[in-house]
Amino acid sequence: MILLQRVTKRFGSQSEALSQVSLKIDPGVMAFVTGPSGAGKSTLLRLIAGLERPTRGRLRVNGFDLDRLSARDIPQFRRGVGLVFQDHRLLYDRPVYDNIALPLEIMGYRRPEIRRRVRAALDKVALLHRETARPQTLSAGEQQRVGIARAIVHRPALLLADEPTGNLDPALSREILALFADFNRIGMTALVASHDQDLVERMPHPVLHLEDGRIEARTRQGAEA
Amino acid sequence: MSRTRALRERLGAWREAHADAARRSLARRLQAPVMSLISIAVLGFILALPAFLWVLLDNARALSAHVDHEPRVAVYLEAGDPEELKDRARELEQRADVARVTAIPAERALEDYRAGLEDPGLLDWMDENPLPDTLDVVPARSDPDTVGRVEETLAREFPGATLVSDDEWVRQLNALHDLGARILAIVAGLLGLGALLVLALASASELRERREEITIARISGATHRFLRRPSLYGGVYGGLGGGLFAVGLLYLGAALAREPLESAAAAFEIDYALHLPGPGVALGVVLVAVLLGWTGARLGSGHALRDAP
Repeated sequence: MILLQRVTKRFGSQSEALSQVSLKIDPGVMAFVTGPSGAGKSTLLRLIAGLERPTRGRLRVNGFDLDRLSARDIPQFRRGVGLVFQDHRLLYDRPVYDNIALPLEIMGYRRPEIRRRVRAALDKVALLHRETARPQTLSAGEQQRVGIARAIVHRPALLLADEPTGNLDPALSREILALFADFNRIGMTALVASHDQDLVERMPHPVLHLEDGRIEARTRQGAEA
Repeated sequence: MSRTRALRERLGAWREAHADAARRSLARRLQAPVMSLISIAVLGFILALPAFLWVLLDNARALSAHVDHEPRVAVYLEAGDPEELKDRARELEQRADVARVTAIPAERALEDYRAGLEDPGLLDWMDENPLPDTLDVVPARSDPDTVGRVEETLAREFPGATLVSDDEWVRQLNALHDLGARILAIVAGLLGLGALLVLALASASELRERREEITIARISGATHRFLRRPSLYGGVYGGLGGGLFAVGLLYLGAALAREPLESAAAAFEIDYALHLPGPGVALGVVLVAVLLGWTGARLGSGHALRDAP
């Protein structure tokens, strides 16, 4: 599902955000990326999501060669990926329902199908009763669940989450990670970046540890560095 | 799923996507009514000016047609048989580019001349009639091409005859019309280009306001076509509003110009009523406005999307 071969990313003249990173994550696996702030977790996720291009190296995700993906193919690639951000990135000018429906509208689904899928996603994150609410009226945990519902509503093959528990208390964080584990159980490949080593190590999933733009260690099977 | 059903589904999804974009774009405009009205008014003023000039030019053309100034070509021939002259006149009248021909035999010309003199006896000392036979030819149309063609025909038909035409004023008037039309085209072109730039800028700035939405939509796999769709509808709404506003201004301007124009015509003893622009002109102005709105939005949004992350 994800294959990086000696991938380096440099922003302008700054030092390398990622240096010669190689890793492989098989389809259907859920894995974590940990490391301190500035270790390169977000850069790694942005590269895998196709939001950045590698400076050097080979990057293949969900059947697309991202290091040489044409602008025309980018939308098609992104439709196979769900992204969850630490700051939720919700649209505050529209209700929860419309936020979650956005990827389906982009993909050209009909209204009845959109309604069915949005309600299923809301049900999954236990927010069915808040579909008409404005995001700003929700708690941080609820907003994050809306962000997750939006990321999975089109059933992407790959779910990427960048510090999805960053602003949440431990109980809510565990709840959110359990949600990712649920999606993984129904076949979604998931890669979750988190700086919370303790929380991550309590989960039975492979962990890749990043330090200064390099993968320093890994635990458990399913992901290779 | 059969192919027909799949096609129907895709068409349905396409229609729904357009309806959503149209509805959202309208809602966005209604949320900021003052700004929307200002941009409609700007486009309206820009379009009303050339449209009003066009109405003036059209009226000038109609007014000049009102003035009795048919161009004529006189053919002076050696005096001969009056009946033969009438036959030639009838022959010429058969031509499509000739409206009518009056035959004036030399004898009648002399009588007419004599009638106009205070002392008709003055002409008695002449041994013979010095006046020629004349064919007074009125071309079917007063444009220089037709008059020129008729002149050529007459020169061919009557070699040796003297031709005198009084179509100079037609040439002058047509030259003025052409100049007016050219000035109108230049003014309309420049204003249209200005309007296009204003609309493109407005569309680009609106797209920048949607930056957050666009970033998130892009992450979810939105194409440029999807992202600019609401802007294109916005351009069409703005164009429609601006076009209708321009038509309103046009009729208002025509109503205000009517009384002084008709008074001026009356001062020249011309019975003239102002030609108001018909529904075709109004529709044309609205269509041009919609086209400008759409094109401006397409240019502006295309540019802004290329710049967006």
